[in-house]
Amino acid sequence: MERIYLDNCMTSKPDPEVISAMMPYYTEKYFFPGNFVSTGSSIQSDLDDFKQTIADSMGAKPGEIHFTSGGTSANNIGIKGFLMANSSKGTHIICSVIDYPDILTNAAFFEDSGFEVTYLNADFDGFVDMEELKAAIRPDTIMVMTTFANHVMGTIQPVKEMRKIMDESGHEIALFVDAGHAYGRIAIDVKEYGIDLMSVSAHKIHGPQGVGALYVRNGIQLSSSKHGINRIDALETGCISIPAIAGFAKAVQLQFSDLQAHIAKIISLRERLYKGIKENIPHILLNGPEGDKRIAHNLNVSFDYIEGEAIMMMLDVHSITVATGSACASQGLKPNYILMATGRNFVQSHGSIKFTLSRYNTEEEIDYVIEKLSQIVEELRSRSPLYKQK
Amino acid sequence: MQYSQKVLDHFMHPHNVGKLDDANVTATEGSPACGDQVTFYLKINEESHVIEEIAFQSYGCASNIATASIVTDLVKGKTIEEAKTVSWKDATNELDGLPPVKMHCSVLAVDTLRLAIKKYELEHGLREPEPFTKETIIEELRSVIYPKAGEDIITLKMVKYVRLEEGVVTQP
Repeated sequence: MERIYLDNCMTSKPDPEVISAMMPYYTEKYFFPGNFVSTGSSIQSDLDDFKQTIADSMGAKPGEIHFTSGGTSANNIGIKGFLMANSSKGTHIICSVIDYPDILTNAAFFEDSGFEVTYLNADFDGFVDMEELKAAIRPDTIMVMTTFANHVMGTIQPVKEMRKIMDESGHEIALFVDAGHAYGRIAIDVKEYGIDLMSVSAHKIHGPQGVGALYVRNGIQLSSSKHGINRIDALETGCISIPAIAGFAKAVQLQFSDLQAHIAKIISLRERLYKGIKENIPHILLNGPEGDKRIAHNLNVSFDYIEGEAIMMMLDVHSITVATGSACASQGLKPNYILMATGRNFVQSHGSIKFTLSRYNTEEEIDYVIEKLSQIVEELRSRSPLYKQK
Repeated sequence: MQYSQKVLDHFMHPHNVGKLDDANVTATEGSPACGDQVTFYLKINEESHVIEEIAFQSYGCASNIATASIVTDLVKGKTIEEAKTVSWKDATNELDGLPPVKMHCSVLAVDTLRLAIKKYELEHGLREPEPFTKETIIEELRSVIYPKAGEDIITLKMVKYVRLEEGVVTQP
């Protein structure tokens, strides 16, 4: 059996068509955009097309799309750029304790720089508390940040409800959304959701690593957070890989050509996996919600009495790649902050396994994973002093 | 950062795993809060003090299982005096090394073994009980990975004679 890759939340396999779309920009069209000269103007024309593709995938205008060198860069340019440009209107921002590290580390940075940050709590299924949001908004609140689909529990935040609450405040508040894990797995129309700034990444949807995009609604003011020469984008200064941008656009074309069919396939595989786990393995806990409030490709399950790194390593020996929220698998030796913040205990956090699927997975692979996982959990529980005590 | 083949071998096929029904001493170190817990079961000959049988159970990661497994190999058939000289470095070397972030697994396995031997010595009059002091608590919590886990260990009553009342460590 070839390796079964179920860690698509980390990064995903580039589609062969993506690689093919990138190649001409390495071998023949290795130019930077520019005026008048045919080499430069042809690349500019291609970049305009790529931008149109990304814009169309989220209901934006091409002028609202900025290419960046990845999702984290998009988050930094968006958050820092907005807060620096708008601090005269207020210095209070809101996010939640379970947001993506890019949001939390930026929030901490601005907290150190004189901003006030309100960190909203989340419930057991990972939904950010809307009553807390309502109560947290102040006259000097200038931005609310959220992670569209939680990268650990898969919870899809009620973004429209957030927007509504923000609008009811009576003053302008920007909504920043990290959509790295949601983009291409749920239809997002930025206008419909009332999103002002949104980051996405190519390598989560079978595109190349090292490229992403930031949506900036027309009218939103951003300061430069990266100073330097403007080659491709005024916000992401310097060089951005044009082959990677070409690959990104191709990945978006492929992912969005039949988005609902892709989503339906992945949900069907995820449900097959969850059903198999439930039927074969006792003493488990689903982390995150069931049904359509969960992002399509994510399944996160805690296995009682055993530790996740051991499960992950044994699956790896059987050529299956997954992720875990165990402290033992983290550099800081700390259990996952999202699982702990949503009411799991240490054992549930240490024993969690995150499966993130892609369109490349098959039913045969899922059945093999269920078979191996059942054996592994049984084996590790037979070695565990916690299980024997029960 | 990756595991050596020997670590993976001991993880996938651990030696002496399970419980010993006729053990005459058992010891547990670590805690579920840390994500690492090892229990050793030893059958020690009461005349020769040779470790005739040893087994372990583990709640922990791959290196936790592998280090416990190698420690059982290193001390089986040895006297308790010889077993006491086995260090966490010996266990690590025997596994062809561990990633730096996993060294504590070796420490935990050897500490658990030493605790078992200490208990055996106390029960068989081979050692005088030590006075219970603040230093004892510090020593007991020495291998704790981070402070929150230390609090949990006390709350879970895993350290004898110590309680936590409103955030203050007390002796009942």
